[in-house]
Amino acid sequence: MRFIARFCKEKSECFEIITIYDEHSEKEEISKENPSIKTITKKNPAGIWFERKMHDDFGIIIKDAFDKRPLVHQERFPKDIHPLRKDFTQHKLQEAPYLPYKYEEIRGDGVFQVAVGPIHAGIIEPGHFQFSQAGENMLHLEVRHFYTHKGIEKMLEGKRLEDAKPIIERISGNESIAYQICYRDIYLQATKQELPLSLQKRHALLLEIERTIHHLTDVGFIPNDAGFGAALSFASKLSEEARRKMRELTGHRFGFGAVSFENSFIDIDGFNEWLNDLEKSLDFFEDWIMDIPSLWDRFDTTGILSLKQAVKYASVGVVARASGIKIDRRANPFYLEHGFRMVNEESGDVGARFKVRLGELKNSIEMMRHFLEEDDTVLEVAKICDGEYQSFCESSMGELFMSIDIKDGVIERFFARDPSFMNWQAVHIMMQKDIIADFPLINKSCDLSYAGNDL
Amino acid sequence: MIKFWNKRAKLGVITEKPELEESLKKIRKEIKESVKKHFAGSLAIRMVDSGSCNACEAECNALSNPYFDLERLGIYFVASPRHADVMLLSGVMTFNMTPHVKEAYAQIPSPKWVISVGDCPMMQAPYERTYAINAPVTEHLQVTHHIAGCPPNPLEIMEGLLEFLRKI
Ligand code: SF4
Repeated sequence: MRFIARFCKEKSECFEIITIYDEHSEKEEISKENPSIKTITKKNPAGIWFERKMHDDFGIIIKDAFDKRPLVHQERFPKDIHPLRKDFTQHKLQEAPYLPYKYEEIRGDGVFQVAVGPIHAGIIEPGHFQFSQAGENMLHLEVRHFYTHKGIEKMLEGKRLEDAKPIIERISGNESIAYQICYRDIYLQATKQELPLSLQKRHALLLEIERTIHHLTDVGFIPNDAGFGAALSFASKLSEEARRKMRELTGHRFGFGAVSFENSFIDIDGFNEWLNDLEKSLDFFEDWIMDIPSLWDRFDTTGILSLKQAVKYASVGVVARASGIKIDRRANPFYLEHGFRMVNEESGDVGARFKVRLGELKNSIEMMRHFLEEDDTVLEVAKICDGEYQSFCESSMGELFMSIDIKDGVIERFFARDPSFMNWQAVHIMMQKDIIADFPLINKSCDLSYAGNDL
Repeated sequence: MIKFWNKRAKLGVITEKPELEESLKKIRKEIKESVKKHFAGSLAIRMVDSGSCNACEAECNALSNPYFDLERLGIYFVASPRHADVMLLSGVMTFNMTPHVKEAYAQIPSPKWVISVGDCPMMQAPYERTYAINAPVTEHLQVTHHIAGCPPNPLEIMEGLLEFLRKI
């Protein structure tokens, strides 16, 4: 039974704690006077961030939790406020006195701490990494995030579903299409409509372009972090070309606003030409990169996440597949008919994650050929009905989960669990056998989102 | 490795593709001269994300791809604010990032400038105000130039940098 998410909803009489597993979900009602629940982290360690977040957002006490530190609320966050409660309406917070955060640290003779972040050396998002070091060896790492926390869950409350779209598609720029597809599925559930096959194919095409862009960027950046810059030049050229294709097709380089219920013109020949070129370039790239021993010296056996640990931490996406777990939200009849095949590796190291990405790139090209079709279907949308809706999508990082409750025609509660939210919690395990100089490489090989994680 | 060099010789330089407008050439020349004049040949930029969706960062990263290749013009993204002339700021200035952004700004040696990139810092992106957002950034820092867009594409960022150089 794979753990997926755990979150809270405020009802008029009580709090509802929803726990989602792959095969079923559980609902627990707790009183508002003294809201407390039992932890699930003994079985599902990745539950801890969900529970700490629940405490910050709603003030739910986790009775037997081993970690009760705040998660989203950082040092200067006003104490004892719970912004996701319905009676909280402030739009501006005053900074509270600085209260230091107690990092998980290993202490001992000669052990020292290295603090990295929140602002990093490269052009990337903010997050903090706290290392306990014995010389070069990493003894422990704590990943600390939520610097880019924007309060999106609160922002969307009270909005009509249509008005929420521009915000939802900007939760994580690299996964915009995936978020839009999750949104689309919820929209269709709420209007009780079926999606015509041709629209489904077009949206799937966009999702694969997004994956292609993201994977291409990664297969360049991962070798770059091992000191092999030529790969970055090569792959970033390809990813720029893919981005321009996205632009040509949707009018936006990241596909913001692209998933709609109206199919538009597509230049099939031009698209096929691009796919053929990309395929050739990738074959060349693979042939070249696999043949560089000094690079694979760095990749192999670095940053291992074993199958056992990946299962324990309920990892998803590329990270899970590189450790031998066979999960992918695309493993369904629609995708299988259009050429999908699961790409798996066993070793769970940087090299495995790199190879999964290369394999998925090739598979994406194959699928895109199947999804291509000229079509101008338009779906007239019906009226939105109140209800509680959930959806999933496989973004370029992994399984994305979204839940939207609609009451009186507006959003009552929005929750999204980015794939990164699961995988960040397993990153510290990957570090345990390596030296600190390998950290950027390991981190890049997972390439997780901060914005999507922090909401 | 030999395969790679063969390929490279065949491919040549792709940076100035004809599909990119002529203006790109002009901008590049102008930027180059301006950087030379104001910053002794190299303008060092510290990019800080104060809570973006990451698309603005992706476009800034794209500036280094072979099609745009910003570094040839003497404009560099540097690893530390202490090496920087300019802070390029993206994102909505979240409550949690505000003190860190201010700290990074304080660490930049004078004279220094702030350029905001994307609609977020001016609170013009679709995000709306919540408890966790402190934008617009102009309430916290003095912004010399703003590059609009959601996200601005690499060419627009280049143009924006040029306009900034014209201003100072
Ligand atoms: S301006 Fe737009 S693209 Fe840039 S970070 Fe903000 S939402 Fe994302």
